[in-house]
Amino acid sequence: MSNPFHLKPEEIVQKAKGIRKKIIRTNVGAGQGHTGSDLSEADILACLFFRILNINPERMDDPNRDRFILSKGHGVCGLYCTLAEAGYLPESQLETYLRFDSALPGHPVRQKCSFVELNTGALGHGLSVGVGLGLSAKMTGRDFRVFVLTGDGELQEGSNWEAAMSAAHFKLDNLVFIVDRNTLQLADRTETIMGLEPLTEKFSAFGFDVHRTNGNDPRAFIDTLEKLDTRNGKPKAIIAKTVKGKGVSYIEDRAAWHHRIPKGEEVLRAIEELE
Amino acid sequence: MTESQTYDLRSVMVNTFIRAVEKGVNLAVVVSDSTSTSKIGPFQEKYPHRVVNVGIAEQNLVGVAAGLSLGGFVSVTANAACFLVARANEQVKNDVCYSNTNVKLVGLNAGVCYGPLASTHHAIDDVSILLGLGNILIFAPSDPIDTAKIFEFALNYVGPVYIRMDSDKFPVLHKDDYRFEPGKADLLRAGKDISILAMGSTVYEACLAAQALQTDSMDAEVISVSSIRPLDREAIAASIRKTGKVITVEEHSLHGGLGSLISEIMAEENIRADFVRLGISQGQFAKAGPRKEIRAYYKIDKDGIVETAKKLVFKK
Repeated sequence: MSNPFHLKPEEIVQKAKGIRKKIIRTNVGAGQGHTGSDLSEADILACLFFRILNINPERMDDPNRDRFILSKGHGVCGLYCTLAEAGYLPESQLETYLRFDSALPGHPVRQKCSFVELNTGALGHGLSVGVGLGLSAKMTGRDFRVFVLTGDGELQEGSNWEAAMSAAHFKLDNLVFIVDRNTLQLADRTETIMGLEPLTEKFSAFGFDVHRTNGNDPRAFIDTLEKLDTRNGKPKAIIAKTVKGKGVSYIEDRAAWHHRIPKGEEVLRAIEELE
Repeated sequence: MTESQTYDLRSVMVNTFIRAVEKGVNLAVVVSDSTSTSKIGPFQEKYPHRVVNVGIAEQNLVGVAAGLSLGGFVSVTANAACFLVARANEQVKNDVCYSNTNVKLVGLNAGVCYGPLASTHHAIDDVSILLGLGNILIFAPSDPIDTAKIFEFALNYVGPVYIRMDSDKFPVLHKDDYRFEPGKADLLRAGKDISILAMGSTVYEACLAAQALQTDSMDAEVISVSSIRPLDREAIAASIRKTGKVITVEEHSLHGGLGSLISEIMAEENIRADFVRLGISQGQFAKAGPRKEIRAYYKIDKDGIVETAKKLVFKK
């Protein structure tokens, strides 16, 4: 199985722009959402869905597909917009985001969307389930990979470290844990609220193969992911440096925009900046 | 199986695991340093690659089980009920129930099995907590035959199941032709004077009580409510209507367990009956000490049930 697009990094940059415009429009249309978080992860999702993930969109029940878990479930609008950009969701459906009984609720629901592997929203759940999936591949001799995208503030949840310990213990080299490291959480800087650093050393000490890269630069991010050694017996931690709110100057790197929505002239300005 | 013999229900459970794999069920058992608690040894010897031990990490236990099921396994977790339901509650809620993964959660040594080890180790709230979660089936087997049938059902059912297990050995209470059906009340003894509705570990005590009451010319009906969700409202309502007197017996808090469920049925079905709920008193942790004494204190043993039944029937 392969990726249906397998785009070049420069093409992915264009896709990410499209995703970001959809993120602004969708959040504005819904009147709420996690704008900063969605924009932060847009390049990572574009790289995964337009190049990295080996999936067949027609067969999302294929046991050999790569798995992607959005552990930072609040970034779900970013996922929906990526799926729409890829043509996996009709763009018109984005208008239903957050509406009553919508197929696109404010956190991902697998019963409503075949591209969602796990219902997330409560933080610190993705990695354990990723460990189970990675184990299932090892136990059945399948070679699919498991990608889990976590927020950085989310790493304050202790469950991540239970999962991390076991990922290394079970030698899950098929598991890729991507940290959207924008250094902001709901209330403030991660390092002000509850410091995470030194993150590289922490993951290394837990037995991970750790890579730092730029999560807003598709070229760098793809380069990192495509060079991973999935036979070295070690789970992967990708610390992807990102800017929360990336792409819209007045949203970038501001904690207040974790779930603020552009209003009035801000909307036009955001779309202009993203053109 | 003979009547005088008793059987460890956990060993019965483990035998169902072995038979399931032999029949082609793609089973994975996840434990959290609970290999001895679960008596998983014979299964592990046969199928070492099907046992995953995550260490003392209950949140990971449940998350990993959910992941294994998403990877195609029928996954079973097996650890002490107190740590499963309390520590990993959010994983049970989201990764198993809300995500509707094919995970069977086994709550071992539930109730006050760990008697003297006190309230950290008692699980008297597991049923009430899990009843709050939408889609999980909840079963409590009463004897070895029930245990085997319930596990056989659960391992072939697709979706979340919780099975409340006891650490004691129990004799056979069922006939060989007993069939477990989810949502079907299990009538162990028909009677006309009083309905005794019991759950799991207390069913045997209810049977002993019914036998003892016979010498006082009391004809007690005993129903094992092994299927807590789905619940057989019709059969339970019919029994209470018939006898007009009901005792519920559970090794569980009186908040949100069997007694609460029966109260709901009686209120909604407009059934008037003399009614006593036996269990761990409301708003309390259970006493700590030898299990036998705890059960006597809360009157959820044979003598307690007999005493309660006599009060209800004779001292009106």
